[in-house]
Amino acid sequence: MGASVNKTTGTAFEPLLQFDMEMEIFLSDWQHCDHVSSYLARMISHNRTDPVRHSNFFSSALNELLEVSFRGGTTDGKIGLSIYRQGVTERVQLSFPCPPGQARFYREAVSRTRESDAEARYLDAISNDLAPSRESVLLDLAVNYDARLRLDEDAASAITLVVDLPLEGMVS
Amino acid sequence: MIAAGLTQRFKVAFDPNSQVFSLAGTIRPRSIDEIAESIHALREAIDAVKGVLYIDVKRLIQMNNTAFQAFIRVALDACRERSDLRLIVVTSSVVGWTTRMFRHLSTIEPQISVEVYDSMFYPGQSFVEDTSFIPILRTQTKMTWRHERDILPRHGMRPGIAMADICCGIGDFAVLVQKEFEPGRIVALDHSRASLAYARKVAADFGVTGIEYTFGDASEMLIEDNQFDFVTCRHSLQIFNQPELLLKELYRICKPGGRVYITNEKNSHCLGEPRANSIQWTYTEVAKLFSHFEMDVELGPKSRRYLAEAGFDDILVESFMVTNLDGDPQDFADMIAAWENVYAGEMAVKRGDPPEFIERFRQGFRDHIFAALHPKGYAGWPIWAASGRKPL
Repeated sequence: MGASVNKTTGTAFEPLLQFDMEMEIFLSDWQHCDHVSSYLARMISHNRTDPVRHSNFFSSALNELLEVSFRGGTTDGKIGLSIYRQGVTERVQLSFPCPPGQARFYREAVSRTRESDAEARYLDAISNDLAPSRESVLLDLAVNYDARLRLDEDAASAITLVVDLPLEGMVS
Repeated sequence: MIAAGLTQRFKVAFDPNSQVFSLAGTIRPRSIDEIAESIHALREAIDAVKGVLYIDVKRLIQMNNTAFQAFIRVALDACRERSDLRLIVVTSSVVGWTTRMFRHLSTIEPQISVEVYDSMFYPGQSFVEDTSFIPILRTQTKMTWRHERDILPRHGMRPGIAMADICCGIGDFAVLVQKEFEPGRIVALDHSRASLAYARKVAADFGVTGIEYTFGDASEMLIEDNQFDFVTCRHSLQIFNQPELLLKELYRICKPGGRVYITNEKNSHCLGEPRANSIQWTYTEVAKLFSHFEMDVELGPKSRRYLAEAGFDDILVESFMVTNLDGDPQDFADMIAAWENVYAGEMAVKRGDPPEFIERFRQGFRDHIFAALHPKGYAGWPIWAASGRKPL
């Protein structure tokens, strides 16, 4: 597991942990999202200023990402999760196989999280929708967790979401 | 109502008398159907109230977007249907994401407001979190540690264990424990950001690493169940207006077979010679003064009952007396002087006591100092140390 480079500053994110699981197993139980997010959050938060609260906050964000992969993923291949750190920010790199043609959906959804009307879109979604869409979940991360999201498209049948979460500053 | 599934480890409750609907625990359903009963309970609560409904999410540890949108859908629809309805969502400053997620509701719907519960976790908090209290706390820990270093192993302290120090204050006890007993893990929680900042600095200054300091409300902790072999909570049940609530949380985070260790005072039993009568009068008044602010500094000998009623077994209780003969008598005198400043100088004034009472009240502290520094004098401060085992 190598370092991940911050494309804005050029500085390196240090690797904290890597997690892989057969997608078929992951999709066999909804509770995997809860269990994996809680467990990994505890592991990576132990040396944060306030480990308990950081873990709670991080688990909340990571669970949403895992739920996106659960709802949008397919059984062939593996889900891969890498977590890096640079200063107050954790970088989550989440890869999962998905149906052909989904890349465009994620490209547009991720792009909308960086637009100036992201918060307005988010408020509109939670005001009117009965259940959250995958797009509104990504907006939630941008609005409520100050997350920076981007998409890596290195394989036609897989999606890699890269999400920077500056939670340490928000917790402390 | 308690939902017991692994993804619905949460409680939903409605108190019609106070018009409070509360959500607590972890709510991460796959679909709305899994929480239909709870959604229905919120609808019923809204139908049952007139005017204001408080939606208490202070103890909401996790909630995914599926649950969040389902609950707020009910709240928003209700506001659109009823112009008389006002919803007040109460979040906790401890759980960062709740405040950030729920804050949007007041933007979307003017009939909803969001309040962050923070500064007053219990009635006496403003006194004990005053930074002027830090010297008292440091001196007290220094003096009690001489005794507790020997007492703690009898109650379950040993190297390598996972322990939590709840209401850790300025963190000096956790540092002493780390150096003396080398537990495998220490989580230290307090409700004062100022005290925790000081605690982190002290740990850094002493080169102590590995203590996980965390901000939180001891009666509603984010810490998961059954985590620790040993849970300490020193001098805190006595300044908490609902000690049984705090004990319930200590019990919850303790592993089955682990122990919860508490220390508390019986202030009216502080003593000294010479000038015993004046000293005794003042400390009897100290107990009454704390009682006025809903704190029970007479709790020490009640520890056994509290532990038993909280469900602990194998309860051990012992007492020890911190005295002017423990180390430097000036330390004891300094501690009493600090008590006088806070108890007579601040608390009695806040209660509205007349000057002549305050003067007599102060005299008892001064006589206690006199006894402590007298070459033939004796001054004491009794403390009860108790622990109970969480049944397997």
